[in-house]
Amino acid sequence: MDVHLTAEQILLRDSAAKFIAAAGPKVARASRGRPPSFAPGRLRQVGELGWLSMLVPSSADGPALGLTELALVLEQAGRGLVCEPIGLAIIATAALAQGHAPHPILRRAMRGDALVVPALQESAHDPLALRTQATGDRAPRLTGTKMSVCADGADGFLVSARGVDGPALYYVPRDGAGVSVATTPTVDGRTLATVELKDAPADLVPARQSSRSAVEALTDLALIALSAELLGVMEGAQELTLEYLRVRKQFGKPIGSFQALQHKAVDIYIKTETVRSLLYQVAAANDPYRIDPELAVAVKAKASEDALVVTQSCIQLHGAIGFTDEHDIGLYLKRAMLLSSLFGNAAAQRRRYIELTEMKV
Amino acid sequence: MFRRDSPDEAAFRTEVRTWLEANLTPALRGRTNRPPPAELMPWYRTLSRKGWIAPHWPKKHGGMGATLNEQIIMTEELARVGAPQLPAQGLNHIGPILIEFGTEAQKVKHLPPITAGTVIWAQGYSEPGAGSDLASLTTRATLEGDHFVVQGQKIWTTWAHHSDWMFALVRTDPLAQPRLAGISFLLLDLHSPGTTIRPIRTIAGDDEFSEVFFDNVVVPKENLVGKLNDGWRIANTLLGHERLGTSNPQYALIALDRIKTMARASGVMADPAFQDRLAAASINVTALSALFSHAVELTNLQRSPGPEASMIKIFGSELLQSLNDLLIEAAGSQASLEKPITTDFGTVDVSTPFLQVRRATIYGGSSEIQRNIIARRVLNLPQ
Repeated sequence: MDVHLTAEQILLRDSAAKFIAAAGPKVARASRGRPPSFAPGRLRQVGELGWLSMLVPSSADGPALGLTELALVLEQAGRGLVCEPIGLAIIATAALAQGHAPHPILRRAMRGDALVVPALQESAHDPLALRTQATGDRAPRLTGTKMSVCADGADGFLVSARGVDGPALYYVPRDGAGVSVATTPTVDGRTLATVELKDAPADLVPARQSSRSAVEALTDLALIALSAELLGVMEGAQELTLEYLRVRKQFGKPIGSFQALQHKAVDIYIKTETVRSLLYQVAAANDPYRIDPELAVAVKAKASEDALVVTQSCIQLHGAIGFTDEHDIGLYLKRAMLLSSLFGNAAAQRRRYIELTEMKV
Repeated sequence: MFRRDSPDEAAFRTEVRTWLEANLTPALRGRTNRPPPAELMPWYRTLSRKGWIAPHWPKKHGGMGATLNEQIIMTEELARVGAPQLPAQGLNHIGPILIEFGTEAQKVKHLPPITAGTVIWAQGYSEPGAGSDLASLTTRATLEGDHFVVQGQKIWTTWAHHSDWMFALVRTDPLAQPRLAGISFLLLDLHSPGTTIRPIRTIAGDDEFSEVFFDNVVVPKENLVGKLNDGWRIANTLLGHERLGTSNPQYALIALDRIKTMARASGVMADPAFQDRLAAASINVTALSALFSHAVELTNLQRSPGPEASMIKIFGSELLQSLNDLLIEAAGSQASLEKPITTDFGTVDVSTPFLQVRRATIYGGSSEIQRNIIARRVLNLPQ
């Protein structure tokens, strides 16, 4: 079902679709295994379009757009299998722009001249687990290990750590003292990194007064961003698959005329549309800096689970060709594997949901 | 969850809630089966006297002329207080159809008794040989001078044995191709000679529906709605609204509460495996709320979701079934008890809603038929 949008939002969506039409599976395929797995020039272009600073409040010279705009751009990014980490870059500028005197890296990050990505996760199953320690009040230093960081091409990290006042966010430059980054390839040709911090100098990122905790706010924002991209991945895979069902013939007929395959296609459609409604209803009802965590978790749980089911079904509907590296449909499954696993997979989201909704006794 | 009441809507909600709390007798609340007419119709007439029986009807026909949001508030508040399900064939089906397609005489004769609750209607669509393939129906109406003669059988007719009138799809042209071009929409007085009604017991233990036999039943010609052989279009015009109405997430929220009560009482709430499944189900209820609110938003903008409403029906009905799967799981060894289970956390009827909800994926077009509709009309897959 169409999402109801304002004229400005339609313009934004259309320009995102246009920009992203230049990406697509071909570019995603070509960039596999070549770090950085995206084109820094294209990230700067995204910056010039103003998208990297879309959530930045007017106090930091940003347009202060909302979650709907974020979702519109990232949905298109997922649909086009865009390799530039647009979503992570946007939520990083949003986090950096909090407080009275934003960090100097913000300006460059808003333009796409520098890439800052979140480095929050310490446990594969609990996205909020936090052992990294911050010591020193004026000049904090961080010690701890972050995992599953999208460090490809990153110039710096937004790191969560326990300071004297509890969990807080810090900016750590990649080439700073005491920072070591070890990368491992992912199935979709990119890398995830383990970032080790040993007494690494860091700058405290002040929390926006209205937000709960800067760490949780950034995590919940990340859940929405990743879910939007997952929606796009589902859509892209669905489009490719419906086209195949119309043209591929067996038994003298297009295979899309067979009821067993039609019903499987409808299930893909229902899952995609359900994630769309959920994502955009949550986006319309929440401020980027104070997202209801129960809803953020619900969206990511649903998007993570359904994107995997949908992309797997799409491979099944393609038959043997879907199992080849040559065919693009596999790229969507692999992107879904990456995005659904980050910041907590579906099961991890459900565990947090149980805590948040006091479902225990 | 996603829709926010405007100040006027919030005031309306409070008014409805207060009135319902004061006027709905406890004996009628939280029933998992529809109570028989002797119990239910007095409540129907109480709502009628209040002027709230037909929120979606225009004022000039005795309705409230309520906005879609007000109608939803009404549904939600009725569900919240545990109000019993009213017979809907008059209010939700033939009423709106007559308002749209009926003659002046048909409106004057039939609409007031529906809002007053003095006449009960039944829907005569399905036949023994025409279920999912409804267009193959064979109940024959032959025009003889100033009346039709009706011969045939209808089945799965909800509340027929309590009803006074039936609106039916009948075959008026046996040779028409396609077959749906030979179907007309007819109003039948169920007290007419030649009519036999036999209740059918359901797996849920009630006799909610019946089979109805017509043996040369004489029906005046003026009981034809719309033009001859135009019945298929008339019957299908208002289906979108019905699918939206039955997908209100309030029913899923009630099912969720029932599960939680049962799970706390039986102790399974402490089991992480159960918690995980309950969380998944609860997240799906949130997703249904989003789908519903999205569809309402579009309908309010006059961009009715059309065949996409089928999607909400599929998702909503299958979700209700999976919720009831969790309910019997929560009940453990007590799942098969026929009567409601009394616990420290409240009384929970487990088996009735579990059995009742089987019908959700069957009536109004089975899930499989809905999937066919989406495959063809939304996804444009080949025939």
